Formats: sequence, C-alpha cells, structure tokens
Amino acid sequence: MKKVLALFLTCVVLLAGCSSGGAGKEPAASNGNSGNSDSGSKAEEITIWAWDPAFNIAALNIAKEAYSKKNPDAKINIVEFAQADIIQKLNTGLNSGTTKGLPNIVLIEDYRAQSFLQSYPDSFVNLSDKIKAEDFADYKIGPTSLDGKQYGVPFDSGVTGMYVRKDYIEQAGYSIDDLKNIDWKQYIEIGKVVKEKTGKHMITLDPNDLGLIRMIIQSAGSWYVSEDGKTPDLANNAALKEAFELYKEMMEANIVKLNADWSQFIANINNGDVVTVPTGNWITPSVKAEASQSGQWAILPVPKLPQTPNSVHATNLGGSSWYVMNIPGSETAADFLAETFGSDVDMYQKLLTDIGAIGTLKAAAGGEAYSQPDEFFGGEQIVNNFAAWTAEIPRVNYGIFTYAIEDIMVVEMQSYLNGKDIDQALKDAQAQAEAQVR
Amino acid sequence: MKTDKAGLSIRTKSNLTGWSFILIAVVMIATFYFYPMAQALILSFKTGTGSNLTFTGWDNYIRLLSDKTFLTALTNTFIYLIVQVPIMIILALFISVLLNDSKLKFRGFFRTAIFLPCVTSLVAYSVVFKYLFAADGLVNSLLMSLSIIGEPIQWITHPFWAKITIIIAITWRWTGYNMIFYLSALQNIDSSIYEAARIDGASSFKQFTKITIPMLKPIILFTSITSTIGTLQLFDEVMNITKGGPGNATLSISQYIYNLSFKYTADFGYAATVSYSIVVIIVLLSILQFKVAGDKK
Repeated sequence: MKKVLALFLTCVVLLAGCSSGGAGKEPAASNGNSGNSDSGSKAEEITIWAWDPAFNIAALNIAKEAYSKKNPDAKINIVEFAQADIIQKLNTGLNSGTTKGLPNIVLIEDYRAQSFLQSYPDSFVNLSDKIKAEDFADYKIGPTSLDGKQYGVPFDSGVTGMYVRKDYIEQAGYSIDDLKNIDWKQYIEIGKVVKEKTGKHMITLDPNDLGLIRMIIQSAGSWYVSEDGKTPDLANNAALKEAFELYKEMMEANIVKLNADWSQFIANINNGDVVTVPTGNWITPSVKAEASQSGQWAILPVPKLPQTPNSVHATNLGGSSWYVMNIPGSETAADFLAETFGSDVDMYQKLLTDIGAIGTLKAAAGGEAYSQPDEFFGGEQIVNNFAAWTAEIPRVNYGIFTYAIEDIMVVEMQSYLNGKDIDQALKDAQAQAEAQVR
Repeated sequence: MKTDKAGLSIRTKSNLTGWSFILIAVVMIATFYFYPMAQALILSFKTGTGSNLTFTGWDNYIRLLSDKTFLTALTNTFIYLIVQVPIMIILALFISVLLNDSKLKFRGFFRTAIFLPCVTSLVAYSVVFKYLFAADGLVNSLLMSLSIIGEPIQWITHPFWAKITIIIAITWRWTGYNMIFYLSALQNIDSSIYEAARIDGASSFKQFTKITIPMLKPIILFTSITSTIGTLQLFDEVMNITKGGPGNATLSISQYIYNLSFKYTADFGYAATVSYSIVVIIVLLSILQFKVAGDKK
C-alpha cells in the first residue's frame, strides 16, 4: 500500500512539473522557426501559413519573389494548410501558452479576425507604424484593427459581383441590361421566367451556408450583431428579415439548385446548371476553369434589397488579411508584409495578371493591370468594376461571433422554410444567440 | 550510498524490479490520460473566449441545460443510437450465423468482404458516401433508373434523409466489425448442442433464439456497449457527409464540441463541459446495459 502511495506521489510531482511548464504564458518563448534570437536581423527565417494554393499561396510566392529581390538573405517558408486546420492549430497553439510551432505570419478570414485578436491579446503584433490603415479599402479596417491599432495587413477584397450566363438570359428573352442594377425581387421574377424557358436554375445554394444572407445584409450596412460587435441584432433587424423572406421566396419559386458543398457548388457552375452566381470575386478563377464557356459569362453588380432604403449594389463575401504573430522573427515578418502587401503597387499588378487576385490597397487600383479587358467575360474591364464596387461596400462590424450566430440562423432558416413565423424565428434566434455569446 | 545487497531484502528488491517495469507505463498513462482528464474537468468550470478564461463555477453546466443546440445534438445522437445500434447488432448476428454454416462455400471470401469496410479510413468512406448520396449521385440515379423514385431524393440536404444517410453509412462501416465478435463466439459453441437440438426436433429458428442468442449474450452485451460508446462519440461521418446540417438536423454531440472549440469563437470551457456530459451519459448507459443484460452474480 505504501508503495502505491509513493508511486502516486511520484506521479503527482511529475504532473506538477508538467503543468507548471505548460500553464504559464510565454509570448517570447524560443521559436522553432528561427535559430537565433536577435529579432531585428533581416537575415532571419520566417514561416507563413495560408490556404488555397491557386490564390493565397500563389500570391505569397509572388510576394516572396518581390521581397527577395530587395532582401536576398531573407528565408521565407510558405506552408499550405486548409483554413480549418489553420484555425485549429492557432487556437490550440495559442491556448496551450506555448508559441512553439506557430508561424510568423498567418492568413485569417475577416469574419474570424476579431475573434482571434480579442481572444488572444498580445499574440499579434501591432503594425500601426508599419502600414497606413487609410491606404486600404475602408471596410477592411473594421475586421483588421482593434482599439485603434492596426493589426492586419488587408489583402483579399471579397468584393462581390453577379456572374451571369448571357446565353441563358438571352434564350429566356432578356438582354443582359435587364439584369443590371436590379433588386432581389426582380431577380426572382426573372429567375422564374428563365427557369420556365430554359429549365436552368437561377442560383445554387448550400442550405448550411448562409453566405447569400450575409451578402444581402451587408449591402444594407447591417450584420448579425450591432455596431459594438457584441450584441446580437436579429429580432428587430429589418434587412435580415427581408433577406430571410427573399431566401424563402427563392426556394418556393423553385429557382434554386441545392448543393451540399464547395465542389458541388463549383460543379454546378462549370456544368452550366445555373444561370447566375452572386458571390465573391475570388470565384473568377473557378469560373474561368471551364474554358469552353468563354464569352458566355458577364459580371454585373449584385442586386440590392427592394425595401431597405440604404441598400447598395455592392457587398462583400469572405476576404482575408495577413497577421504577424508576436514571436521571435516578428520584425522581419512585419517588414516583409509592409514592403509587399502593404505598399508594393507593382506587385499588385502582377498578382492580378498572374492569379486574378484583387487586393484592397487603394493605390494599386490606378495600375495598368486593373483596366485590362477580360475576354472570358466579353471583353469587360471586370477588375475596374470590382475596384469601383469595393469603394461602395458598407463598413460593418463583424464582431467575434459570426459563425456561432450563423449556425443558429441556419436552424431558424430551416424552421422558417417549414412554415414557422418569420418574427418568431428571428426572436428565437435572438434569444439563442444571446445565450451563446455572453 | 549503501549497496543493494546490504540494504534491501530479496523481496523488496523483486518488488522494486516489478514496479520499475510498470513505472514507465504508469507515468505515461497518468500524464497522457489522467492529467488531461483532470485538466478538462477544471476547464469545464471556466468561461470565456480563447485564452481569456475566468472561473465561473457551475455556469457552463447551467447553460448546458438550457442550450437548444446541445439538446438537438443529444436528440440526434440518441436517434442514431436507438435506430442504428439494434439494426446493426441484429444484422451482424444474422450474417455471422449464416457465415458460420460449415456447408457454405466461399465462407472466407464473404467474411472478408463484410469485414472489409472496417479497414477503410473513416474520412475516405464518408467522402465516398457523400458522393454516392449526392442529389445527382449514384444512389439516386440507380433508384430512378429502376423507377423506384420519380425525382431525386435530397439525401444530404433534407433533414430526414440526411439522418437516414448517416445511419446507412455507419451501419455499412461497423456491421462487419461486430460480426467478427459473433463469429468467434459462435466457434466456441459446441456443435453437439445443436446436434442434440436437431435430434429433439428444434427448427433452425428455435435453435437460433433458444441456443445461439443465449450463448452469445455476453458478446451481445459487449458489442452493444462498445457500439453505444462509439455512437455517442460519432464525429467523422457527420462532419464529412453533412457537416451537421441541414440546420443541425444531423449534428452529433462530438461535432458540437468541435464547433464550440474551432468553428465558433473558441470556447474551450463550455466545450469541456459538453465533453463531460458524454462521459456521464456513457457511464449511465453502460450501467443500465449491464443491469438489463448482464449476468447476475
């Protein structure tokens, strides 16, 4: 018995040793990526995490090339992870209190940015003296700054457009101009006719993803939470209510082709199953992937809300920005971002021509690449259009609970579609969100 | 320092040797099992986002009781449990009895074929199922070409059919696994018992219900407990086939824990509370199953 006790005590002592090692915060702990500790040195090695090889990783490679020309000693490692993996790794890494294995620069989606900045104070570097916030599109500053300090380097714009199949629209007896600057009610009416005449669905939606709702409410300067980013704003949100009603109308008009995930979404576009795709400009490479449809597509501004007065034909979906983590090497990392994504207008032209990435640096929009016509989209200067819409996107505070609230909204949307009263649905969502976000 | 010979008796020495053999294992288990369990319990009393955690006592447990999403996840998990586990157990029993028949040809082949799903990766088979059951997937086109259904069933995007899809998937994946337990138990039943039954004129069905099932009772208990635990921890299938949707219609408790930790703003305290609720449920259910089916001493 004594031995069991002794053994138990040994374990306790061992465990105490373990816990004291793990529990303490050590923001300046040694970093696995950099061998030496003089963080000011330009020769240091930095690691960057991002997702999407065709878009973000490709952009990073261009930035790396641009930076290496001026700083040949810098060693930059670019690591690709799925976005969900990055979120998991960041959360677990930051929570465990050890910064080993974390990257120097990380890409974070704008909807999630505040949740990281606020949940892990001191884990990200204040870049206010490295970049100027006013150099970037206005609506990007909300998610990337906290308490007046600029933490993120705004990148991917997320500005939306309505991608339209011209041939289907014409088959149904419309011209492309009939779809310019319309509202969602007109959109549905046109959709019904197109469905009847061509048999094609107007839009493809994933019932688990309310991206369309987010787009619609942001176009009216509204969000799931009120200005403070904390109080759920669902029960009395006129724009949200209208968006919900339009969503149901679309479903009932039978103009929606359901998809269950991203690959089916893309397949529906490329197979020619849908007539319009209202979504972020980042879809352009995927639309163009089906080369046989060249010339059949056009990009128009997204529809607006028919009843909400301040709704505009410009909104945002997704989009992400770069953040520097507070670990050794942060100087080099901040310098890298400042010199590339933070200011390099020429590099932005290359980003556009090579990979079709539209950034949010205002100065870059004056560049030549922005006014290049795109033959795939009937010779339109699509990027110029996107850049112009970017300037009109209403600025909202996403807060830190976007996805938690959206999961509640998805459930209420299902009940609403099945006949629940709209006001009751939003009221129930409000009550649940309040319980969730305290 | 004194030498061993001088200080320790042979008995103490052999005891020490014994302990030193298991010491590493004990330390490892304590560090990697018991320490995290204790930490998670402590964590479940804290609230906050990310690393801003504060001790709030029973708050999380009170929240749990009024959390609609948790209730939905719990209900879904129990639907899987109540519908899927009995189907699977009965199916596995039935197949194992068929495959135990010594007159059956290609027994080895059939056994392997039915066991094979268990060696596939959870994620890989889930992804395959998602494509099989897509609106324009193989299952729908098959059913339509056979004129069983008129228009495609929304397997993944309809709340009811999504649950059915998950149940079909886990049944496919785990039936063979349970079958193996029954097969090995059947080998241990003396064939003379069946012989005697046949001589007494018992039908095959009677033999099955009066001999096979009672003889397999401990194994049935074992498989139903492991299946219960497995179902309560269901994650991969739901995550990969439906992502819990549409509208939480297929959400499982494990996926809710994942969502709370990683999909939403990280709330590790509450996620730990939900995890402990699974522990409590599994313990209660296992006790119940032992009481209902277990042997009385």
